[in-house]
Amino acid sequence: MTTAPANYTRALDLVTRVRGVRGAMLVSADDGIIVAEQLMEGIKGPAVAALAASLATRLRRAMEAAGVGASLFWHLQAEQGALLVVPTAGGTLVVAVAEPDVNVGLVRLELLRAGEVVG
Amino acid sequence: MSLVNFTTREITCKIVYYGPGRSGKTTNLHYIYGRVPDSRRGRMVSLATQTDRTLFFDFLPIDLGQISGFATRFQLYTVPGQVYYNATRRLVLQGADGVVFVADSQARQLDENLESLQNLQSNLLEHGVDIRTVPLVLQYNKQDLPRELILSASDLDDALNFRGVPSFSADALHGKGVFETLKGISELVLKRLAAGTTA
Amino acid sequence: MTTRAVENWTLEPLVKFVKEASARLVLVMTSAGQVLAQHGFSRAVDVMSAAALGAAIVASTDEIARQMGQPPFAALNHQGERHGIFLAAVATGRGRLVALVVYDLEVSSLGLVQLFFEQLAADLQAASPKDSVPKQVLAADFERELSASLNTLFGR
Repeated sequence: MTTAPANYTRALDLVTRVRGVRGAMLVSADDGIIVAEQLMEGIKGPAVAALAASLATRLRRAMEAAGVGASLFWHLQAEQGALLVVPTAGGTLVVAVAEPDVNVGLVRLELLRAGEVVG
Repeated sequence: MSLVNFTTREITCKIVYYGPGRSGKTTNLHYIYGRVPDSRRGRMVSLATQTDRTLFFDFLPIDLGQISGFATRFQLYTVPGQVYYNATRRLVLQGADGVVFVADSQARQLDENLESLQNLQSNLLEHGVDIRTVPLVLQYNKQDLPRELILSASDLDDALNFRGVPSFSADALHGKGVFETLKGISELVLKRLAAGTTA
Repeated sequence: MTTRAVENWTLEPLVKFVKEASARLVLVMTSAGQVLAQHGFSRAVDVMSAAALGAAIVASTDEIARQMGQPPFAALNHQGERHGIFLAAVATGRGRLVALVVYDLEVSSLGLVQLFFEQLAADLQAASPKDSVPKQVLAADFERELSASLNTLFGR
């Protein structure tokens, strides 16, 4: 197993240090495969990555159809947690899985910063 | 291994054309492809080198229609004849229900024929199959060449046909003996199925 | 799109997989290239070509792995411009089977296919018959009809 490049680790650290974040991943948007991850036990990384990438494709099309440009951030709130995603220009999704009461504003900020690190 | 499904009433069999390089295996398939109606055949797939030598295999699926209420289909494969392609030859042979051995009738090719037949035997053995139990027919191709260059069918029978299996004289380029050969192997393969002797 | 199974136990797992992974074409076959189930093909003979090629790819890579002294490769993926092709083997009670999946990159992805393939493999394994099917013998008139059919096909 190869070690993730240092900037990937730094990007994931930015997100996972936020209180209430249970895991972060960098996912290739085209193929839904995990590039790097820091996940707590019990989170099905490959499943979240594949489904998040699938959602991202559909959301991109919805945004295009609505004429509102590319999506910058999305947040899905569920009963027992939340999924937060920032797509980067380079085709990577920065994904966070968090507790339901996480500070969404802070996670968003760190996801955007992580996105800049990854490029 | 042939696939017989009693629920959907379908039979699918795999037949492999084996033999030394340039003996006319691909030519057999080309002729069949050209003569079977469009509705009864699929696309012919040829994995060949730039000089049209078989690299992996040629493949032609044909539909024999309903036989005794079963939709019956054959998958015809050729193997690459050249000696150094043995690994791929062995792969194509996997799961074969019947083998057509296409021999080159030219007298100077006798050693190549014998070597290829031995190679067939050892490759079948690698798949756990005894050559004496597999449906097999021989085709003596290029019988149209001048008599002084070729061995007669009975000479070739003496040299190659140790099991006394059906053998057919052929000129595959012009189609002579091609369907007779295919019919011969079809009968052997399907009779074996009908007898319920398949694994 | 049509989903068809030669062996019925493969149908339900296949239908579920096609839906979940948004696959365009799927073939489940034996390692010798005999089709057990398929989705998305219209002609039986075209299915056979795809199966022959898919089985050949898997057989070649198995052989490379064998020569390298490695266990067989788990899966192969070819990414094209608009479509991806995914090939993988599944161990079942019916022997080692091969699945070939063609997916449209606009509606699916390697990640999705891989994800739901794991489920397909588990479902096929669970559904496969554990004992070999009792041997049935073809009808007595089989030989006679065979000869007639061959004559018709070859125009003799």
